[in-house]
Amino acid sequence: MNSHGQLLTVLSRSDPDRIKAFAVFLIEQIGEIKVIESRTGLVMLPMLDTAGGTAFHLGEVLMSEAHIRNGELEGYGLRCGRDLEASMAMALVDLAIRRDIEKPACIAFCAKEATAQASEDDSTLRQIEATRINMETF
Amino acid sequence: MAYVATRGGERAIKQSERLFRAAMGKIDAARVTEVKQALPYLVDRVMGEASLYDLDLAALALAQTGGELYEAVLLLRAWRTTQPRLCVAEPVQQQDLFTHRRISAAFKDIPGGQVLGPTPDYAHRILATDVLEGTPFVPEPVEPGAKPSPAYQPSVSAWQAKNDLVDLPKPESLHGNDIPDLTREPLLFPSKRAHTLQSLARAETGGVLALGYAAMRGYGQAHPTVNELRLAEAEVVVKHPNGTAFSAGRVKISQAEVVSKQGEKLGLGFAATMGWNEVKCISAATLDLNSKGAPKGTPTEEEFFLYHTEGVESSGFCIHFKLPHYVTFQSSLDAMRDAKAKSVDVAKEPVK
Repeated sequence: MNSHGQLLTVLSRSDPDRIKAFAVFLIEQIGEIKVIESRTGLVMLPMLDTAGGTAFHLGEVLMSEAHIRNGELEGYGLRCGRDLEASMAMALVDLAIRRDIEKPACIAFCAKEATAQASEDDSTLRQIEATRINMETF
Repeated sequence: MAYVATRGGERAIKQSERLFRAAMGKIDAARVTEVKQALPYLVDRVMGEASLYDLDLAALALAQTGGELYEAVLLLRAWRTTQPRLCVAEPVQQQDLFTHRRISAAFKDIPGGQVLGPTPDYAHRILATDVLEGTPFVPEPVEPGAKPSPAYQPSVSAWQAKNDLVDLPKPESLHGNDIPDLTREPLLFPSKRAHTLQSLARAETGGVLALGYAAMRGYGQAHPTVNELRLAEAEVVVKHPNGTAFSAGRVKISQAEVVSKQGEKLGLGFAATMGWNEVKCISAATLDLNSKGAPKGTPTEEEFFLYHTEGVESSGFCIHFKLPHYVTFQSSLDAMRDAKAKSVDVAKEPVK
């Protein structure tokens, strides 16, 4: 989990209370920031149809967005739902990583969240595996 | 059409709304949470029809309307218009879906196998009346598998194409705002395929089932077999301002492919929607399968099924008939009386 995209993916799915608590730890060190956006909005989700090869819209997903700047660097947070504090926390962690502020702690936070998410997925997939069916034709 | 303005109804209108809301009582966050947790499939259905994915808002809409689904969907669609569009995500592809349920009624040995996932399909339908006598119904826990199921599964139709059973067109490379969008442009006929599929994705479940069922019973050209039914979670892949792609979260979606024999190959119908709603997807895919060359005015003709399964418009049109139509109705009565008077006059005339 080293790429920026992977980090953002983990942060967007991280536990809201934990990421908010972690962002509080970073705020003082980051200093003053300019908030470019802090809002809820919609992300349209398209899908590719397998029968006709056509891209079409499934519908919109409500998301909370935070876009902040400190000097030349920007932090960005986008998460499902209406929790503006959680998306702002994600933007703060993103900005901290890019500014090298508490980077090892930020990476460790992401790694811990990634482990929790993987564990949750593993548990879900084991339950799904229990429903696997092998059929015989008589 | 003509209406007549009325005065003096303000108090009655206010009290009637109070009477409606009195049935639901106080609505608080706890009730919304309860609706969300207790009725996930209803929440899914409302999100799909509203074309707006947010569990909390959908549960709130259900709580606020007392489960009046058309009103709940209308509330959500209205609320949606207050929000800006942030962006268009990358198109979801079947093989990238985090799959919970995947079955095929056409082939038992599909690549990746079949997982039933969460379903009451094979259970006895017995009402747990003991609950009413004070004995809670506690579901038995799942006994997890020794290993996890693969999260991602290939598309069945891609496997069929490799085996020369279906002809799959080359996928479009449209992205972002280039994809036709019904919420920003009108539905015109013949409909663009992107409009047809988007319209079905947000269509009213009961309407889609009624017309899909008509096609299944024989009022269509092709009998469907479920090629692949999938309940899954899709990643919402967006871009950071610096261009980095990432997933901003997962949402539940369902999709169905149905097939029927068409000449020497299989013909495919497809549908998908937000939330988990199998009946809607199978019915909608059946309509898609049958729509090509369907006679005008039949349930499987796209203009017929797309117009008549748009829940907000159709329910809105239906309930508008409750509004005062005194002038138009009076006009009909006048015409009836006039016709009656003329026929009496004609009858009185002596036969020559």
